[in-house]
Amino acid sequence: MGPVYLFDIASSHAQWLSLRQAAISSNVANANTPAYRAQDIEPFSKILDSKVVAVAVTDPKHIATGTSLRAQGMRKENSWEVVHSGNSVSLEQEMLKAGDVNRDYSLNTAIVKSFHRMFMNSTKT
Amino acid sequence: MIDPLQASVQIASSGLEAQSTRLRVVSENLANANSTGRTPGAEPYRRKTTTFTAEMDRAAGVRVVKVKDIGVDRAPFRVDYDPSHPAAGPDGYVKLPNVNSLIEMADMRETNRSFEANLQVIKQARSMVSMTIDLLRGA
Repeated sequence: MGPVYLFDIASSHAQWLSLRQAAISSNVANANTPAYRAQDIEPFSKILDSKVVAVAVTDPKHIATGTSLRAQGMRKENSWEVVHSGNSVSLEQEMLKAGDVNRDYSLNTAIVKSFHRMFMNSTKT
Repeated sequence: MIDPLQASVQIASSGLEAQSTRLRVVSENLANANSTGRTPGAEPYRRKTTTFTAEMDRAAGVRVVKVKDIGVDRAPFRVDYDPSHPAAGPDGYVKLPNVNSLIEMADMRETNRSFEANLQVIKQARSMVSMTIDLLRGA
């Protein structure tokens, strides 16, 4: 049986989703702040690409690369609307994104749970 | 940097706080919509405004929202001809506050909407946390 990379990917996806939730909540909180520009983090596919070329860690003194997610991935987002005060947060768009995040997170935990159950079944019986 | 899910709850609660302050200012304006001066020619109540600013929370490493300033509206006062009023000037005109209840109502609706959006974010973050905890509980 080959190694299963699912849990690693699932955990970094969950981490990415929680960071995105933090970005969304920053946008929503600043929905009435003049000159605030809406932000979003890098798409997950980009992070997944950088993970593939990550340098192997063979010694505990090595610094792992490509595995830690940072909020610097913030990018200016192309927003639906910019109001006169220079604020580019659209609450509708943010709610839509928050719904996406929640659904993906639910999918993620469901997958992890079912794989975990699968492992437990194979070890128990 | 703290856990992002905890951070989002923190950010959203800063939003709730800012919007509550805004609602307080709106209610102050509405309550004083007819507050004139006491002495002849005195200035009436001046409408207050709220401005927000995005602020970096160093401890959490996130951008929260803060009330920057509660300022005053520079718009001219309404005037009403009423020579018998205690605050009437020598020409018989009384200065009334520059509060427009329609504008205040619109502001209140917007506050309501933003407050609701922040609450929704808190709800979502909480459900994400409980989904994670369910991972340990299930299986």
